[in-house]
Amino acid sequence: MRKYFFIVSIIVIFIAVAQSCRKPELREEEDYNEWLSGGIQTVFDESAGAFSAMFPMLSGDKSQVHGLGDAQFEATFVSAPAPVRPGLGPVFNNVSCSSCHIADGRGRPPFSAAEQLSSMLIRVSIPGSNEYGGPNPVPGFGGQLQQRATFGTHSEADVQISYNESTYGFADGETYNLREPQYNLINVYIPLPGNFMLSPRVAPPVFGLGLLEAIDEANILKNADEQDANGDGISGKPNYVWDAVKQQTVLGRFGWKANNPNLLQQTAGAYSEDMGITSFIFPKESCDGQMQDDNRNDDVEISDSLLHAVAFYIRTLAVPARRNADDQQVLMGKKLFKQAQCSSCHIPMMKTKADVAFPEISNQAIFPYTDMLLHDMGNDLADNRPDFLATGNEWRTSPLWGIGLTNKINGHNNYLHDGRARSLMEAVMWHGGEAEQSKNAVKNFSKTERDALIKFLESL
Amino acid sequence: MVHPKIKIELFLVCFLAVINGCKKDKEEIITPNPEVLSSFSLNVAQATYNDLNSKTNLLYNSIQQFNTSNTNADLNTCKQNWKNSRAAWEQSEGFLFGPVSTENIDPRIDTWPVNYTDLDSILNSSAVFTEGFIDNLEDALRGFHPVEYLLYGSNGNKVAADFTQRQKDFLIALANNLKKLTAQVADQWNPLTTNNYHNQFVNAGQSSSVYTTKRAAFEELVSAMAGICDEVANGKMEEPFVNQDPSLEESPFSKNSIVDFTNNIKSVENVYSGKYSADGIGMEDFVKQYNLSLDGTIKQKIANAIAALGNITDPFGAAIFSQPVQITNAQNAIKELKAVLENDLMSLVQQKIN
Repeated sequence: MRKYFFIVSIIVIFIAVAQSCRKPELREEEDYNEWLSGGIQTVFDESAGAFSAMFPMLSGDKSQVHGLGDAQFEATFVSAPAPVRPGLGPVFNNVSCSSCHIADGRGRPPFSAAEQLSSMLIRVSIPGSNEYGGPNPVPGFGGQLQQRATFGTHSEADVQISYNESTYGFADGETYNLREPQYNLINVYIPLPGNFMLSPRVAPPVFGLGLLEAIDEANILKNADEQDANGDGISGKPNYVWDAVKQQTVLGRFGWKANNPNLLQQTAGAYSEDMGITSFIFPKESCDGQMQDDNRNDDVEISDSLLHAVAFYIRTLAVPARRNADDQQVLMGKKLFKQAQCSSCHIPMMKTKADVAFPEISNQAIFPYTDMLLHDMGNDLADNRPDFLATGNEWRTSPLWGIGLTNKINGHNNYLHDGRARSLMEAVMWHGGEAEQSKNAVKNFSKTERDALIKFLESL
Repeated sequence: MVHPKIKIELFLVCFLAVINGCKKDKEEIITPNPEVLSSFSLNVAQATYNDLNSKTNLLYNSIQQFNTSNTNADLNTCKQNWKNSRAAWEQSEGFLFGPVSTENIDPRIDTWPVNYTDLDSILNSSAVFTEGFIDNLEDALRGFHPVEYLLYGSNGNKVAADFTQRQKDFLIALANNLKKLTAQVADQWNPLTTNNYHNQFVNAGQSSSVYTTKRAAFEELVSAMAGICDEVANGKMEEPFVNQDPSLEESPFSKNSIVDFTNNIKSVENVYSGKYSADGIGMEDFVKQYNLSLDGTIKQKIANAIAALGNITDPFGAAIFSQPVQITNAQNAIKELKAVLENDLMSLVQQKIN
């Protein structure tokens, strides 16, 4: 009996030792549940409020801050003086965060010439760069056109958009149309210089951004391949932008050209440029030094704590779970998405860093479908206006999570930075530059394959 | 020879296997009453928006009448018509999805606070109040609240003699814009107009491009009901109350806030019962098929919330100081309703509907 015990003990010890020599295996994408686009911060909600759900895992105190930020995100500002929320303008693009980011979702260009720009804006600059390496502001206009103003104040300009439509064909003979926008500025309050450049941008969805902010910088940079050393035709370039709080140049993450470093600055920038609301980060009015400046020496128009609360609100908006991820057609589309190398830039899975101070976003496998890097998207999509290191041809890979809910939540199917695409397929077919091969692959797909690809995108 | 003990075990295994084979392999998912969606569209959404539209038409007509007569009696009719329109609007806020949201009509009708400074500038300017001029105004300068402000005055006691012609002209133009926008929402749910939302909603899971499953349409109703509870308890009531600041109240000039809140909860009741004026098949009929006690709970929580709001007897701007207990009780009752909707009702929908 003792002998048996001895042998068994030896075997157990041997196995234990052998096990401890095994390296921990790196878990692959397949090891995670791809239905959970936002990791533990995923919501099973496909209603009109799906982009507006708070992180399901958030402690009581933090949900209070989220609630404060939520109310402020919806709060309408009015002209000063006023008893409640004064400080709008004098020039502005809109009156509250939620009037551009409707239901926390995606903006669009006007449907008709009669409609004003509402959830879209125009950035402007002249050649050269400012003291921080960013776009060079247009004298008298700054970095953004404000096409609205408080009553009695000159707005900077009105924007007219017209489209040239062209017909193209898939390999199987089916045709598709793409419309190219043209921008005409009218009622300009002072003449614009001849060499100005403009970049139209729709309001991007704001959910899930806290998770993108939590991706470790090294994790983003490991996919960068600026010189295309691996020869796959895809470069991937990080933007480096000015952090107004740290007063230094850091990795850019947000905005259509990764031109903003973090959510706090993004929020403060939107308050300043889009609404004319000053804050501790941007204490000067957007029209500072222009003739519309009301020269009120008032305090900052949004308090530090409320600004932080709004940034926190955005940081803690959950991501809707995928729908129909196990549908056969969707699975076929998923395969084709990889086959066409869409997933080389729209990288399905990313991981957030370990963060002991904010466990709710720590160490999550998320499925945003972006590499957070800049890519040359070709001349047809170019705005020809550099933004920090991003050239006129380069755009940051847009996250695709939640994209299938756009029509329900925002009532439109307009995609890309200026909303020119009127369907997901049009958006795909606008891809060029580094994505030219992927687009051509889709062009050669059969009708069944194209439908499957779109079904897959709609399931995200 | 098989050992008898093994024999018994074999028998038991076979027995269990047979029993198991008798079990249904999946819980049957019964199609819920398909009329819930069409009845919601007809008896709640269309009924409410049509009523809203006819009431804003009456408001416009009465303002026209007051403009000619300038009597206090006619002004009071305007005020009453404002409150009636407001009631219909607040009863639509339990289903803030579809065109009213995606077409951005909600902010154009119901933005708060009023931009008083610009409103005064406009009245003092020589601007002509054409339809196009009003269409281009900021949201904080049109819709319910600027009309309320002009009708009631900042202290809520405005009389006919206080009106300037310029104010009346602006009121007429604003009321005209309000009725135009409410007509637009009503139109978008009308089954007879092209691209209407009625078809999107009732054809969920079939031809609808917005609702690819029936469940998605049911979830939309539940999350809209829970959404307005959240807005009332944690937004509309919370902000003025925690800040102890009556200037943050939403309908201060008409002292109508508690009526507004109550109508919001009635809107939840309307969606749940499928009834605005004419009764129809509602969410309640779906719930009753599976869980009678949940149906009872939801109805009780709705009644509790409305009763708790009724216990706030002072106007809300005063009650935030004088009746804190009643306000907290009402907030809690509404939060309880919200919890049962977003947890229990949502789970039931997600389990039972494909």
